[in-house]
Amino acid sequence: MNITKAGYHGIVLPDLNIGFDYSGTDTQHTFISHAHSDHMPRNRKSSVYCTENTYKLMQRRGFSGEATILEFGDPLETDHARITLFPAGHILGSAMVFVESDHGSVLYTGDYRTPASPASEGFEIPEQVDHFITEATFSLPIYKWASHEKLSKQIRNFASRTLSDGYTPVFLAYNLGKAQEVMHMLAPLGQPVQIHGAGYKMCDVYEEAEIDLGNYETYDRETCEGKILVTTSSALNNGFASNVSKKRIAYCSGWAAREAARAQLTVHELIPLSDHLDFFELIRLCEELNPKMVHITHTPNADVVQHYLDQKNIRSRILDLEIEEDD
Amino acid sequence: MNNLFRQLADTAQHIAETRSTNSKISICAEYFRTLAADEDLNLGAQFLAEGAFSALSGKRASVGSRTYSTCAAEFCEIDYEKVFKPCKTALGSSSETIEKLMHNLETARKKRTDGQLTLGDVEKIYQELYRVSSRADKQEVLRNAWTKMSPVEIKYFIRIMTQGSLRIGFETRSVVSAIAEAFDKKIEEVRYAHMITGSIGRTAVLCRNDNLDEASFELFHPISFMLASPLESRSVDSLKGYVAEEKFDGMRSQAHISGQKVELYSRDLNDITHSFPEIVQFFVKRDLPDLVLDGEICVYKDNEILPFQLLQKRMGRKKPTKKVMEKYPVLFISYDILYYEDQPIFEHSLTKRRDFLVRLSEQHSLPITNQFNVRNHDHINELFERALAHGNEGLMLKKEESSYEYGQRRKSWLKVKKPGGTLDTVIMYAHAGSGKRGGYYSDFTLGISVKEDERYEEEFIPIGKAYGGYTDEEMKRLNERVKELTVERYGPTLGLIPEIMVEIEFDDIQVNKRTKANFTLRLPRFKNIRWDLDPKDTNTLKDVERLYREKIDRERLKQDKNPSFIFE
Repeated sequence: MNITKAGYHGIVLPDLNIGFDYSGTDTQHTFISHAHSDHMPRNRKSSVYCTENTYKLMQRRGFSGEATILEFGDPLETDHARITLFPAGHILGSAMVFVESDHGSVLYTGDYRTPASPASEGFEIPEQVDHFITEATFSLPIYKWASHEKLSKQIRNFASRTLSDGYTPVFLAYNLGKAQEVMHMLAPLGQPVQIHGAGYKMCDVYEEAEIDLGNYETYDRETCEGKILVTTSSALNNGFASNVSKKRIAYCSGWAAREAARAQLTVHELIPLSDHLDFFELIRLCEELNPKMVHITHTPNADVVQHYLDQKNIRSRILDLEIEEDD
Repeated sequence: MNNLFRQLADTAQHIAETRSTNSKISICAEYFRTLAADEDLNLGAQFLAEGAFSALSGKRASVGSRTYSTCAAEFCEIDYEKVFKPCKTALGSSSETIEKLMHNLETARKKRTDGQLTLGDVEKIYQELYRVSSRADKQEVLRNAWTKMSPVEIKYFIRIMTQGSLRIGFETRSVVSAIAEAFDKKIEEVRYAHMITGSIGRTAVLCRNDNLDEASFELFHPISFMLASPLESRSVDSLKGYVAEEKFDGMRSQAHISGQKVELYSRDLNDITHSFPEIVQFFVKRDLPDLVLDGEICVYKDNEILPFQLLQKRMGRKKPTKKVMEKYPVLFISYDILYYEDQPIFEHSLTKRRDFLVRLSEQHSLPITNQFNVRNHDHINELFERALAHGNEGLMLKKEESSYEYGQRRKSWLKVKKPGGTLDTVIMYAHAGSGKRGGYYSDFTLGISVKEDERYEEEFIPIGKAYGGYTDEEMKRLNERVKELTVERYGPTLGLIPEIMVEIEFDDIQVNKRTKANFTLRLPRFKNIRWDLDPKDTNTLKDVERLYREKIDRERLKQDKNPSFIFE
């Protein structure tokens, strides 16, 4: 099976004329894993396949092309292949693309999270995979996540403690996915939440998917004090709630696992809540799947993953920009 | 039990996770109050502020980062090169890497139990590390210690061991405040006792036992130097009440004198007496009372203060030869006096200390700095230009009413310096940052051109390493460009295509035979990232050599009229 990387993000199966998160127009079928901008087609008018939720979220982020909606588990048959989407647990709508053909099977993960984000459709994986194309964003043994239960408690405690001290809690979270996940975790508190406009316009898609985001409204500078605020660090640096002097800031990201984040962002609390799986989960998943080949991408530390897979006798290769032949 | 090392580590972590300085101080004060035994309080304060050994002991555990890092990799059963190093690069901290691996890896977890180590137990481990000398023996001690510690304990154990900062945003000054808060004493009294005793642990114990007045200064126990802030970094509304002195191009030193005994200490409080026998003789001959003087050692010949580069020939030598002493004669020029008439006088105002110094200089013919009243800004410029003409670095502005604020860098002393020069250089290597800059490439090796230089094969050779002077935005842009230009990777260091041009500023040029260029720059820092320049615009080694010669050969104004110092 030929698997090649095209540009920084896209991956192409030239034999089957299939592209994953690919911005070119030369593939017959292009699948978009989720609506984060580094995976969305750069050409806003492309014609792609994706889940309904991904399509709705992409539209809210400026995509005006055509999309053919695929349900999870409901395969698309082409001349050479059968393609099925599996929930990836990364953000709402996120899908892994499973391709079965005479050349063997391929699972393209996009970005994924297991155990799944509670604000997603869950995580499921086919039983048998020949070629496993995996991201490895946090592929070092220094990264090991606490359970969602523990992290959501940390989030609620930070909010409650900050409010009762008379301060305004501010959560720094990426405006699609992380922001809604944090709101979902805050929902049991029943406290009013204001979210930055860029994240607000995504929220109705979550509501339609019946994910409880609690008692929220769009950010309003005049009334935000004393409410729980959700925004991005760049917005915070550009005047978001700058009229509120008594605020405390929590940074929600896998990168919050690094102590340096505290000083780099000048935050009060680091909450290592990631929408990617950790190193140990990645190695365990590779073991469980035991594919013929693991193709590692999206990481500066692919060789560390390879080192561990070698020890477990799992074949792997680093998927980089050179076009490589593979059996 | 309140004296467990675990509690100290948890306290340090709690302090790290707390933003406001006052809250940090309260957490630390609360911890100090729980330490019932004097010995535990002593160690607790010392571990948080000084390190494994008290500052006065001069001892070190002498365990390098490679020694404890390879030991940790082995303990966790991971490959040092293939796994540990990339982790360290990602976090920018060996100790944090070890903490996380000890926590995350089952192989490490099953080797560790809660050994209930007390502060005293940990002190014994540090003593043991000091006692043994081979790497293998030190690693054996570390391994044994770690089997009894939690990951957080191990992290702080390492940071304390290396006598560096604990990186919790809580430096000595805050520990002093915490001691004062814990035992309800005035900060100034605690600070004074700390200055006198030179020991934070002893200070804490004296403070709790209401014995701060026992802290008494002893001759031949050096105290931390008072430091100056750059004028531009402090907002000083008015220079009223300041006097000016020339800032000598020499080496700062503290002299303790009692009868025939004289000792000289460097700024890091090391004994440097043996390097300067003629200064000892000079003081002995003058039949002085017991004294502590703060001043500068300068090469002084034919009425001229000679550049610092020549003083380097005298520094670090165990015993200078007669020839070297004749070629580079040195003089101790005093500018402050800290002990006089059998008592410490730090608390006196500068004006008063100056009176003592002048009197002493007249009676015993001691060289002391010349002092000028500052009239206005034009006058400062005039004095500044004259200082430079004398070959000095610039001016010191000192507040007349200030006491001697040991170990502090505040507004009472201000320095006005002229940058040594600038060079257009090209970035050759990028190094992963640590601490606050973890995860970024923040340190850069800068090169100068030797393309047309028959002595070298290369196009560029390194001239220095700079790690500051850029904004966060610029650092991000640099990091993006660095990724595009990377051609080689050596652990945390990237080899780059020489493209990014940086105008650097530095304080001085020094000869250093151990470098490829034979020169090093003092305090190189970014002045401008010159996206507009091309690598062919890089300054050459010949330019550096020319700048160096100009500095050495520069005409120096003799110590004649309006001298830098008074020496009758």
